[in-house]
Amino acid sequence: MPNFKPHFILIYGLLLCASACTKERIIGYEVDQVNVLEDKSRKTKKKNDAEFISILYTNLYQSAISPNQLYKTQNVLYSIGDQDVANEMLLSNYFNTSGITIPQDAVMRADIDAFIINTFKRFYLRYPSEGEKAFFKQYITNNKAVTVEMVYTAFACSEEYQYY
Amino acid sequence: MNRKNFITKSGIALGGGLLAPYILPSGRLFAKSGTVKADHVVLVMFAGGVRQQESVLGRYLEDSQGVAGAAGNIMPNLFEGDAPNKKIAYGTTVSGEPAGSEPIPRLLSQSMEKSGLLFPEMRAQSAGHYIGLNTLLTGNPGVTQGLRVRPSYPTIFEYLRKHAGFKATDTWFIGNGIGNSTPLLNSSNHKDYGLAYGGNMFAAPVTFSAAGKEVLGNAKTYSRTDLEPMYFMKNFLDQSFALTKDQIISVSNTDEEKTQIKDFIKSVFAKQQVGQLSMPPVTGNSDALNMMYAAEVLREFKPKMLALNISGVDSCHSNFTSYLQNLHRADHVTAWLWQHIQNNIPEMSGNTVFIVAPECGRNQNPNPILDQNDWNSYDHSDANARRVWGLMIGKSVPNIRVGGEAQPVGRLTDIVPTIADIFGILDDVNNRGLIDPLARSLYQRI
Repeated sequence: MPNFKPHFILIYGLLLCASACTKERIIGYEVDQVNVLEDKSRKTKKKNDAEFISILYTNLYQSAISPNQLYKTQNVLYSIGDQDVANEMLLSNYFNTSGITIPQDAVMRADIDAFIINTFKRFYLRYPSEGEKAFFKQYITNNKAVTVEMVYTAFACSEEYQYY
Repeated sequence: MNRKNFITKSGIALGGGLLAPYILPSGRLFAKSGTVKADHVVLVMFAGGVRQQESVLGRYLEDSQGVAGAAGNIMPNLFEGDAPNKKIAYGTTVSGEPAGSEPIPRLLSQSMEKSGLLFPEMRAQSAGHYIGLNTLLTGNPGVTQGLRVRPSYPTIFEYLRKHAGFKATDTWFIGNGIGNSTPLLNSSNHKDYGLAYGGNMFAAPVTFSAAGKEVLGNAKTYSRTDLEPMYFMKNFLDQSFALTKDQIISVSNTDEEKTQIKDFIKSVFAKQQVGQLSMPPVTGNSDALNMMYAAEVLREFKPKMLALNISGVDSCHSNFTSYLQNLHRADHVTAWLWQHIQNNIPEMSGNTVFIVAPECGRNQNPNPILDQNDWNSYDHSDANARRVWGLMIGKSVPNIRVGGEAQPVGRLTDIVPTIADIFGILDDVNNRGLIDPLARSLYQRI
């Protein structure tokens, strides 16, 4: 057993307290807030049926699909060989119901640029490329019969929407 | 023209003249290697596990339950032979009579055996359902085939689309449900074939169920004017995303074919609503439903190749009486489909080959489960479960019986080369080397 003298213990204690009580420094790295969005080149994982249906439903109705409805829809889509056909019919069925939340055609026509950007963000979680923006702007402007429903159908049935 | 120019131009002209006749509308460079025997094939995968004893051998209760004098044929539309006269339990139930005591009247004026080609003793390459169905559609036993994955080897749909140039709506698979991986049978995941060459598919009792109506039945009917911009924008987006071949997620129907399929689905719901769907005289199980929807597909698309499966007889695991009833009904609904093609689809009548074969048999010995009649039940795992039969009827099919109980002829892997033979692409299929090396066209087995 070592023989410590009391005044040494006191000195050690004081030194320990003095070294522990340094002033806290606030360090800021000046990181800006940014919205993280998907890049299409990184979408390599296919949504499974349940993911596709529930994401689509939430997108259009702005509310979650019930488990029972999800189960029924999954089974029916699985029973059809051409998944494009199945998805198009599901979507068209949704468009024929009340309660879906989509912009009016007039809103689209009033600001086509904003509509295109919002649609890309809504379905693909990314901004459109300049080429995509130019294509949709020209197409919607030149074709007066194009509606929001048609644009949304094209996006929801597209291959990119099947991936994340 | 100098001599060099003359020889060069003559050579080009000669080469072009020789090659041009072989470039076909389908894009094939070479003509099909064989003669086309018929324009349409319907394959009924008479599945669920069918014992030879109660089907082609006509033994009824004599072999299975040891009831002496109770032999007889309970499949009068498919096979020859007198019906049993003891302990009739396989028919319909008439009020006041014992359950199942009224056999369903025969639909066909003469049995398929009498008008077609019968291989009464073939060999299945597996005793399981999914592998058996795979074998019927791929011509390969697929010993490494897993459940819940697409077939490892190309299906007949893919061979036909790739080598005979058929479009997607020329080839159909009608599954009887979404269980047991059935919806995966319309295409393989083989790297040289796959969904791009897959057939169209409905698991019809689910697609056209009450849930199906709820999910799809209220879909809008878009005009061509509406659809064109949608497809135009979608195609632009798809080109931009550019999936690789192994990422293709759906059968490759054209926009016109997709529209036809959507209109067809809606028309079936509409017919359901007003009770206008053609159906067999006796229904009552999902096999009858599947036949009914297959008939609708045949009427609408007149496909070159349609395969459908039924499986009611699988109740044999725990209820032999139900097995007999479902076997009798499977005979009835199969005959009804053949008759429906002849009487209601002029484009296919007289120009179709109809093939019927189980995917596997059932055991020699029973399991311990007894049913309401104290009859033994049967599973499928022993050598008896590899005993099956095959039946063909239709255009240019010879009327002959090949082989017998003591002399087996044919394998279930023969079905794919047989269909390839009918459509004149047997050499293409054989040359790919992806089917069972022992498989032959049944025409070659005769």
